[in-house]
Amino acid sequence: MLEYEAIRPSYEMSSEMEEIAEAVSTCYQCGTCSASCPVVPAGGMDYTPRSIMRLIQAGMEDEVLSSQTIWTCAGCFSCAVRCPRDIDITGIMMSLRNLALMRGSPARTAPTRWGRIYNVDFMRIVRRFGRMYELELVLRYHLKTNPFNLLGMAPVGLKMFVKHKLRLLPDPAEGRAEVQGIFDHLQSDRADQARKEHQV
Amino acid sequence: MKYAYFPGCSQESTAEEYNRSLQAVARRLDAMDLIEIPDWNCCGATPAPAIVNPMLPHSLAARNLSIAAGMGMDQVVAPCAACYKNLRKASHELSEKPDLRAKAEEALPGRTLDRVPEVRHPLDVVVNDVGVDNVPVEKPLQGIKVASYYGCLLSRPSGGFDDPEYPQSMDRLMEALGAEAMPWAYKTKCCGGGIYMFQENVSFTMSADVLAHAKASGANAVAVGCPFCQLLLDLYQDKLAAIRNTTFDLPILFFTQLMGLAMGLDRAELGLEKLVVSPFELLARTIDAPEGEQPAKSRPRSKKLSKWGEAQTGGTET
Repeated sequence: MLEYEAIRPSYEMSSEMEEIAEAVSTCYQCGTCSASCPVVPAGGMDYTPRSIMRLIQAGMEDEVLSSQTIWTCAGCFSCAVRCPRDIDITGIMMSLRNLALMRGSPARTAPTRWGRIYNVDFMRIVRRFGRMYELELVLRYHLKTNPFNLLGMAPVGLKMFVKHKLRLLPDPAEGRAEVQGIFDHLQSDRADQARKEHQV
Repeated sequence: MKYAYFPGCSQESTAEEYNRSLQAVARRLDAMDLIEIPDWNCCGATPAPAIVNPMLPHSLAARNLSIAAGMGMDQVVAPCAACYKNLRKASHELSEKPDLRAKAEEALPGRTLDRVPEVRHPLDVVVNDVGVDNVPVEKPLQGIKVASYYGCLLSRPSGGFDDPEYPQSMDRLMEALGAEAMPWAYKTKCCGGGIYMFQENVSFTMSADVLAHAKASGANAVAVGCPFCQLLLDLYQDKLAAIRNTTFDLPILFFTQLMGLAMGLDRAELGLEKLVVSPFELLARTIDAPEGEQPAKSRPRSKKLSKWGEAQTGGTET
């Protein structure tokens, strides 16, 4: 009998990553995900989805969590519906984003950082108003990344304003306190979970 | 039939004409009665799963679904593709997995989830509940060649109302409205809407590919069912054309606007003036053309199919 010593894991993985690694353990690196991905040919990823799957299998946790790919995934599910191993690759990218934020993993590239700022600020606004307020999101994002980009946004903003497509004032949900409650509850829940896992 | 209506954030700003035209169409169709969910909240769009806790999108959806259930509804209609995907996924998982339901209830004190409504897209309702043949067509869309663009989230993840790779429902609807549904390969390619704020060039490359394929199919208009696809393809069309070094000149209409046109609804209810690439020139050339000058009804599609590599014939404009 042959013994596949080389692929037997010999590294430590965090429990959250172990859960993800289990989900991708059946990946046989066919590359259907990378071939289906519309972001790869447009030049938006540092690792292809297939590479991310392999890095997870190889236990290279930090490399995965600081990658640009998990943030520039457009979430279109092309890979997930075609995966012959039925891996929800898109869902895994989202779990990796969550883990990267929780750990505060370093951002490998500028778009990695931009992606985090956008996603975090988006949900901050939802937490506050219960609904989206696009103008604040755009202003916040550009002020935090490159304020000069706002000048470039001006013609588009004007076009939207003329067509009444720009909401000037927020339109908060009346139940926004309840929405904030959801965020707060889940935050403490997640913190408890993390604490428990680290004690074990 | 009565449906709880979840408009979503974009229906009140960037895609107000989608909201307006959908409501106008629903008012005319007897079989589609939309009642807005009072005080709905944001579904979390694409960023939600990354933030705080993977349970966040489910819990945000649970509040909306529980209000809808309280209205006595067992079907929710969500016109935005991102809302539709988030709410559908949540509805599915909350009704399948009791532990998820318990967690969502914990985050929402005072609300119960013993009945979780099903979530539908208005295209699904029109095609499968109302039926394309029951849409009253008063002014057939003769001469309008439509590339039906589903984008990513109308048909994916799988398990929805249409095929994830080559959906047909919008094409069938367009044919029933009297338009010509153009066959094309990019109908489910993603426009990059979810990353366009922080990866503008990447999403513009993706959107330009979509429009180039729509144009190459011979279409003179694109029908969409997602506010973000519409925004990128319409508002930024000049930039996308510059990337490809061409002009597209393709009006990007919500499928509900095309329905309203064919049903002869009051044009003011359809918000056509809000589109950045104006559809009026196309309409003047086709359905609004004086009697006798209207373009001839195009031949059935089967006769037009040419082999790969052969020069495309047809597509004669009057």
